Amino acid sequence: MSLQIIINGLALGSVYALIATGFSLIFNVLKFSNFSHGALMTLSAFIGYFVSVATGWKLIPVIAVSMLAGGLIALIGEFVAFRKITIRNTSPVYFFVSSITLGTLYEGIVTIWVGPNFYNFPRFFKSSVIRFSGLVVSTSDLIMFISSVIALVLLVLLIQKTRLGRALRSVSFDRDTAGLMGINVFGTIQFAFLLSGALAGLAGVFLGINYTLFPQLGNLVVKGFIASVIGGLGSISGAVIGAVLLGLIETLLINFVGSGYAPVFSFVIMLVFLLVRPQGIAGSNIQEKA
Amino acid sequence: MKRLLAILLAAFMTLGLAACGTSNQPAPTPTPGGNQPSAEGDIVIGVLQDITGPTSTLGKMIQDGAQWAADEINAAGGVNGRKIQLKTYDTKGDVQEAINAFTRMATTDKVTAVIGPPVANIGIAIAPISENYNVPVLAFAIDDRATIKDDKTPYKNMFLFQPSAMQQGDIMANYAVTEKGFKKFGIIYNQANAYSVSLVDAFKKSASGLGATIAAEVPYQPTDKDFKTMLNKIVAEGVDAIYAPNYTQELILIVQQARAIGYEGPLVCGLDAAPPFPSLAGADANGIIYINNITESEPQIQSIAKAYKEKKNSDATNKFFLGYDVMKIIAKTVGEVGDDSVAIRNAVEKLTGYQGLTGNITIDPATHQTKGLEMVMHEIVDEQPKMIKRYAVPEKK
Repeated sequence: MSLQIIINGLALGSVYALIATGFSLIFNVLKFSNFSHGALMTLSAFIGYFVSVATGWKLIPVIAVSMLAGGLIALIGEFVAFRKITIRNTSPVYFFVSSITLGTLYEGIVTIWVGPNFYNFPRFFKSSVIRFSGLVVSTSDLIMFISSVIALVLLVLLIQKTRLGRALRSVSFDRDTAGLMGINVFGTIQFAFLLSGALAGLAGVFLGINYTLFPQLGNLVVKGFIASVIGGLGSISGAVIGAVLLGLIETLLINFVGSGYAPVFSFVIMLVFLLVRPQGIAGSNIQEKA
Repeated sequence: MKRLLAILLAAFMTLGLAACGTSNQPAPTPTPGGNQPSAEGDIVIGVLQDITGPTSTLGKMIQDGAQWAADEINAAGGVNGRKIQLKTYDTKGDVQEAINAFTRMATTDKVTAVIGPPVANIGIAIAPISENYNVPVLAFAIDDRATIKDDKTPYKNMFLFQPSAMQQGDIMANYAVTEKGFKKFGIIYNQANAYSVSLVDAFKKSASGLGATIAAEVPYQPTDKDFKTMLNKIVAEGVDAIYAPNYTQELILIVQQARAIGYEGPLVCGLDAAPPFPSLAGADANGIIYINNITESEPQIQSIAKAYKEKKNSDATNKFFLGYDVMKIIAKTVGEVGDDSVAIRNAVEKLTGYQGLTGNITIDPATHQTKGLEMVMHEIVDEQPKMIKRYAVPEKK
């Protein structure tokens, strides 16, 4: 197996990891699949794009703007689309419907705003390629991989080592008991949405750099969902493992059986996991609401 | 309050159902004769384009070009004193939407002629349906199947106003092999797109006939975004050039990712590497060879392109000029034979030597495609398109 293919697979996996992590975070806390996450990536990436075009800012400030925008929009989204459902504790299917509706709203806003065309981020890197010992790595892939690792390590540290992280884990485990123990449940849920939105902004910028910006960019959230299922729905580390695995599998399939069959195999793998090991690789035992 | 909401919801649903009812009406029985609008009033021309959706950059440009020509004609007093009115329907890049819209144009709107789609999938879908009506469709879908039936006879109403896929693939292969000396090609194309598939077929046939080899052929899916591994397979074969006849957005990703894996050689592309592609792809686009209906440096193109830029604050692409030419051809024909759609169809079939912005247009009655129309070869140098030479389309074998 060529090392170059593995490098390509890792690069693709790191894209999926960024998507899957934000997705898993909300699943972890509220136990539902937030399908508005993809459209939020698109919306926050476009905000970053227009800021970069207007100001000429470099990559890091653009990422900061997108993450901030993603976080704030996610907060508003939580209040508008999910708060009432959470308070009323009504049928879980409403979370699903609400997240799809919110995603359609975000995509609609982007389409009206930018039209159906596609856009390219300004060139952020002097050289688009880094070569070492016969291997070629795209600069944007490498920076995206490093950024993903940094973001995910910070996220894990935050969840494992801080009071806010403990609150998140408590609310994720048992919302009612956490509330009785004095934890601000909705504050914690909002914090999860803020983090998830910020990750959507980060993913959106890198997706935009790699794949151009267009209103349907967020459709890639499906890959994040598959990665989450493989890794274990609701598990952050599982999402990363699942994403990297999915990236590698897809790249190998494209190389050996062609692009036509690759998506079929990806879905088959997901179905096998759902049948044989529904809790995924990480073994997170969470009952999904929707 | 709840009751009020329920009433409002019920009212909205009723209105929604009513709207669905009208949009899904069965098509009225086709009229045996042509569409014969009254002698008075506007001449209504249908425009069937992708105004939204993935190929909207093509459809909107054609619509703009047709509107520009119609405005010019109307400002000059119209056709025999009657104004031209365009009735545009958005296909949204969707075959079923396009079929519904075309049927409505032919039956309810009773348009005189239709300025048809630039996209092969939609052209192929409406071609058999167009046989039921008597409305000519002057289109840009280059796939042979959009104008020619399986028995090799042309669809009576379908016309193509630029060289077909067979002709364009032929030109690209001829230029790449004989002029540039490329002997070994890799091909990457969207296997769900009739435009890409038909160009690849023609290119392979011609390149092989000229002694070149296709070392790697990589089809991809419309949902694919990561092409690096596919391109790795091609580059590993040590090809002289990559043939990539794909839509603009996919082409940007392919070119950027080809450069990102270290491929610095040439790519040979179709119409979609024309502006605005070079500015969108940036320096990665340098070295790309592509074909176009026009070249921006020609005086007749420059003046209208400048006026368009001033008015719209964006650049007119080749599709704009194709839309412009076809609108002018329809107006000329209506001026000569009146606005009966059958008479227009018969006249378009015999069109000879019309000097448009995109070249000297003659329609071949045997194929309903252009005959001998030149196309212009370009290379992207310093992120700008540079005209290399004009190529006459070889006669179909």
